[in-house]
Amino acid sequence: MNGQKPNVFMPALIGGAVAGILSGIPLVNCLCCLWIIGGAILASYLAAKDSPVSLKAGDGAVIGAFAGIFAAFVRVFMSLPFRATELALFRKIMERLSEYVPETPAEWKDMFSFGSGPISLAGLLLGLFLSAAIFAILGALGGIIGMALFGKKPAPPGEGTKIETPQDPGHRQS
Amino acid sequence: MMKNRILLVYLASLGGILAWLGAIVLAPYLRSRGNPLGKFLYFCFSPVCHQIPGRSFSTFGYPMAVCARCLGIYSGFLAGMGFYPLLRGFAELRLPKMKIFLAFSLPIVADTAGNLLGLWASTNVLRLATGILWGAVLPFYFVTGLAELASRAKKRIE
Repeated sequence: MNGQKPNVFMPALIGGAVAGILSGIPLVNCLCCLWIIGGAILASYLAAKDSPVSLKAGDGAVIGAFAGIFAAFVRVFMSLPFRATELALFRKIMERLSEYVPETPAEWKDMFSFGSGPISLAGLLLGLFLSAAIFAILGALGGIIGMALFGKKPAPPGEGTKIETPQDPGHRQS
Repeated sequence: MMKNRILLVYLASLGGILAWLGAIVLAPYLRSRGNPLGKFLYFCFSPVCHQIPGRSFSTFGYPMAVCARCLGIYSGFLAGMGFYPLLRGFAELRLPKMKIFLAFSLPIVADTAGNLLGLWASTNVLRLATGILWGAVLPFYFVTGLAELASRAKKRIE
């Protein structure tokens, strides 16, 4: 990590929270895995912004994976209050589909019934574990992309080079 | 040594994406056979996809475990894995240029934004196509990033 460890926790927490909230809200969650990748890109951006040195793709993978795990926790707890809404929405979609496609098999209605009954602690933990594992991989991908986009810092100017771009507050020029 | 590490990450990623795509097709097959594992597979994919049947391709009489766009992204990832050895090789770690990522991302961003804003309603084939295009560039980041991380971890151990 170029001699200095980037701050992983806060950027991952913020990116994960954003991804988890957006992927847990019905209708907004229609972007599927893109929210997780997007949240991890945001986490990488925040980490790169606060880092005094250039960060590498591997740093992005770590930050993104943590963001994905945070997103899984947030999503699972976000989806609890929306669960009834989501099931009602899905039933409505199936009814509309049957209107337009008369040959829609009746079995499709109970196709996703696994996990749609009353919430058990085991089901919740299984969902959390699965989400965390999958989101960590997707988050790692997003983090790497984020680091490729934002991780590189401009090389420090050599002697006699005039700096024309304004510096971030707290960065002192000698 | 670096070559071996990149190759290892590449093969693990290839195995992972093949298993992932296999499970997407296996879910409707098992469901059509009345196997309860089919429902479990749909459940496994539910955190990463809305699984709306009208936005998914069907096989064995049931929708696939993910929507057309997600299927495109994962299929594109597999296609990108196929091109990786030809375009990058295993000798060095190099990320694609930003403009390449943006060019591959533009169609999926435009199509998704157009749908969300109600400007047009895409067909599943268009969703699949934009997903494939975007997915194809992703292995060039994924394999490179993980191989770089693995190489750094190895150095730390030594």
